Amino acid sequence: MDMVLVLVLLPIIAALLLGLFPYQRLQYIISGATLALLSIVAFSLYTSLSDFTFHLPHNLNILIIVADVVLLLFFLYQGRKFNNIKVMVLAVAQLLLYGYIESIAPVAGRAEIVVDELSKFMFLIINGVGGVIVLYAVKYMEGESASPFKKRLFVGALLVFLSVMNLIVCANSILLFFFLFEMTTLASYLLIAFRGDEISRENALKALWMNQIGGVVILVGALIAIIGFDTVMFDTLLESSGGVLMLSVALLSMAALVKGASLPFEGWLLGAMVAPTPVSAMLHSATMVKIAPYLILKLSPVLAATMVGGIISLIGALVFVAASYLALSRSVFKEILGYSTVALLGLMMALAAIGTQESIAIAMVLMLFHALSKALLFLSAGVLEKQYHCKNIEEMKGMVNRAPKTVGFILFGFVSLTLPPFGLFMGKLFAITSVASLLNEHPAYLIVLLALIIGSALLVLLYFKVASALLSSASDVVQSETMPISAGFNIPLVVLSFFIVAGAVGYIMMQQNIFVILLAFPMLFVFALPSIIHSMERYDRTLPYQCGEKGSFDSALVYYEPSIKIQRAMYWGFGILFVAVALVGAMS
Amino acid sequence: MIWVWIALAPILGGLVYGGERVLRARMQRRQGPPLLQPFYDMFKLLDKRTLIIHAPHALLALAHFAVLWFSIAAIFLGWNLLYIIFLHLFAQILLILAGYSVRSPYSHIGSNRELLMVVAYEPILILVAVGFYLVSGSFEIAEIVKGENYLLQIPLLFAALLIIVPIKVKKSPFDVGEAHQEIVGGIEVEYSGVFYEFLYMSRFLEYIFIYSFVYLFGGESHWLGAVLVFGVFLLVNLVDNATARVRPAHMLKIIYTVAVSLAVVNLLGILL
Amino acid sequence: MKFFTPFRKKSPWVLHYNAGSCNGCDIEILAALGPKFDLERFGVINTGNPKQSDIFLVTGPVTYRSRERLVELYSQIPEPKVVVAVGSCTATGGVFRGMYNVEDGIDRYIPVDVYVPGCASSPQLIIDALVKGLEVLEAKSKEIEKPYKLFGAIETIANKLSRLNMATKVGQNEKD
Repeated sequence: MDMVLVLVLLPIIAALLLGLFPYQRLQYIISGATLALLSIVAFSLYTSLSDFTFHLPHNLNILIIVADVVLLLFFLYQGRKFNNIKVMVLAVAQLLLYGYIESIAPVAGRAEIVVDELSKFMFLIINGVGGVIVLYAVKYMEGESASPFKKRLFVGALLVFLSVMNLIVCANSILLFFFLFEMTTLASYLLIAFRGDEISRENALKALWMNQIGGVVILVGALIAIIGFDTVMFDTLLESSGGVLMLSVALLSMAALVKGASLPFEGWLLGAMVAPTPVSAMLHSATMVKIAPYLILKLSPVLAATMVGGIISLIGALVFVAASYLALSRSVFKEILGYSTVALLGLMMALAAIGTQESIAIAMVLMLFHALSKALLFLSAGVLEKQYHCKNIEEMKGMVNRAPKTVGFILFGFVSLTLPPFGLFMGKLFAITSVASLLNEHPAYLIVLLALIIGSALLVLLYFKVASALLSSASDVVQSETMPISAGFNIPLVVLSFFIVAGAVGYIMMQQNIFVILLAFPMLFVFALPSIIHSMERYDRTLPYQCGEKGSFDSALVYYEPSIKIQRAMYWGFGILFVAVALVGAMS
Repeated sequence: MIWVWIALAPILGGLVYGGERVLRARMQRRQGPPLLQPFYDMFKLLDKRTLIIHAPHALLALAHFAVLWFSIAAIFLGWNLLYIIFLHLFAQILLILAGYSVRSPYSHIGSNRELLMVVAYEPILILVAVGFYLVSGSFEIAEIVKGENYLLQIPLLFAALLIIVPIKVKKSPFDVGEAHQEIVGGIEVEYSGVFYEFLYMSRFLEYIFIYSFVYLFGGESHWLGAVLVFGVFLLVNLVDNATARVRPAHMLKIIYTVAVSLAVVNLLGILL
Repeated sequence: MKFFTPFRKKSPWVLHYNAGSCNGCDIEILAALGPKFDLERFGVINTGNPKQSDIFLVTGPVTYRSRERLVELYSQIPEPKVVVAVGSCTATGGVFRGMYNVEDGIDRYIPVDVYVPGCASSPQLIIDALVKGLEVLEAKSKEIEKPYKLFGAIETIANKLSRLNMATKVGQNEKD
């Protein structure tokens, strides 16, 4: 229990310390120490066996209610201030619902905080990846044009956000979950709007109202749970059966779809890419959006082998393909990463909603390795943005000559997302096996399987298309200017790469399958190749073949874009499917 | 014994390639090169000065060849079909990265097309693997070759595989990746000497790779497998001589409409 | 490597370059490569890529616009290599000799090993020349061969031999 408290309180303390002491070096020390402590605690917690439950004191509960109301009023105020009707309407709806629920909510119940296997696993992701991102953020914010206090506030906010995340993954009360859900919405709203310009404001408001839809459906789900089963606790709800159970669970998983930015809600996550990069990394790929698969995983005991679970895995699978496809038309690096995040979240939700033991395990593995790889990619994108001033992949042509190390990290990120023996690849591989073994139970899984196969292929296309711009390099006898990246950026990237490799090794060893271990062999071979690079000196260097011409060559990137008609059809389709989740829940 | 086969795989593939060149020549009513021509080419390439653009580009060709050989070894050893497909994907990605790593227009176009080809054939290969799994109950090749009657149970998957064979062996109508008259060989354009030799030999291995998928349809009967391979070999070369090259996008369209629906229909047929 | 040398003549790969020809010789070359004369029985492949070629088949009298490409392509062919000048123009300038826009023959720019006469030369002659060229090819060493004109430099940069500037553009390095 103490360790959970450490996870929740330590980031807040660190944030306070950061706020108090304005010394640059101290910031590095504090964030570094926080990272070390948090990841050690999370890891030891993960290896410990027992589950914890914990009752919140009554006063704290009242405090949370007050905070929640204040939060919703703040949303209402923001909606009014920027004259956004959607935000206002949704805020009012939430206020009314929340008030009504609190008035009829059963007082006594089970523990509000339950730390189970899933929570411990989430701790691992949140603190390991989140800690690295905070460390990175300190360096990143140095180059930002904002007042020193605002910068420290930014890093502090990221730390506080960590503790919110740590709490949300062990919340057992739906109302507590709702409060923390809204807190993450608030965090993403404030941090997207951090730069304060017109686009940031607009995208922040978009993120706000979309996420508020998630809040509303959670509240409706909670209301139904109270009416149907007289409980606001997840575990009690999941143990009950019949009646309106499916409707309540369907509504809760709709919140996951919103938070996971599944189509048609992917707009908010892409808009969030205007925020400073640590925000994108922390909130919009590595940790916060992981609430979506987390929530589905939490609900999976009920969702498994039901119509609602089926339709959610259908949505997830289709999102996997559609988002991968849409990403092919983008040229802003962070947007591409954003789309592929949406895609992979879809895949995780699909697997989680299938709900067999195997697919749940695979979804968790995908979550962990996706968080690591995407954080690595986002942080590298941030380095390119800060040190080389490139956001668009069109500007990154031949980047490998200017920024070999950063490009190396990006390439490693891509490889870790697609190729054996890294975790994400293994996850996809086992997912194919697992879904194929389900085919005999129900042919409808063929859709999931197809989506999985085609989506993976499209993601390969996407990543290596981007690599094409980065990689093209002149002959190695041509001198080129390289700019080293500073240690403040380098260390977090190295740490993340280490996590990816260590995770992959650990995961392979866990399989107890000699063939899986042998899958790592080619990668080892490739990584060993640079050792013979010196023997390459004896070969002549020459110019590329250009039909005898001697011009310079600028690689062209290929984009694939669906027509407007198809896009519209896609959005309508996903919108209908989203509503269908509730309808199916109501019917079953 | 099996290790000898693995070691000899490039030679076996070279013989297939040489035989194919003879066969194509005969189809065009000319004499054609000797059967051992690929090996003459290989030996000659070893005797040339080697020009490279930069070291990683050259080393990636070596890596491509090595990983491809590894995946062929995995086939001979009867591994999981999915692992083999993804090892092959790995090899292909290395090649694609090599193509992208130089500032050469043909190399880039070739890589782009190669990437599209991967996107085109990979789903089919996996669906074929899933088809084998559904029929034989295992992804392991060692188990799959113990079964029989695959051709009766998954004929449409065989047809789908047939559609993608020309992609893998770079034959018309799906030879967009190489397209000698158009993009001068695509990815391989910047290689010469020893490193081109690796790519040349990896082409032999590609033959082994894709034809062993065809062979699997024979199941436990080696004869049926051999007949299938030979029949597909003839058919592919006939089609190669008789058709023009399609555009990459067109190729993707054909694969994703015709081949995928064939595969899906077949899978549904098994399941329902 | 002595062992591999005999195989040079068993697999001559050809790069065909038109340095301003009237296309007469080019058509004959294609005829030689086609099914009737079937150069492939000697193992010939028309690669279209200098880096994988052994024999440089040049047609045409070398127009001013084509000489830079000619030398660039020549220097991208890895040694050992053989240059075959196909047709009268390529050997001497032919009917274009003395015109303001052509150089008279490619041997002003690059060393030629075999000359093929004829306007246009016939496929039989071309095959004969290729076979002759193979004898030359077998006797050659792997030393770098330099073009006569438009030769830039072969330098060693960081222990690596750079042929990047081996061919230059007109007016870039030498007086033309």
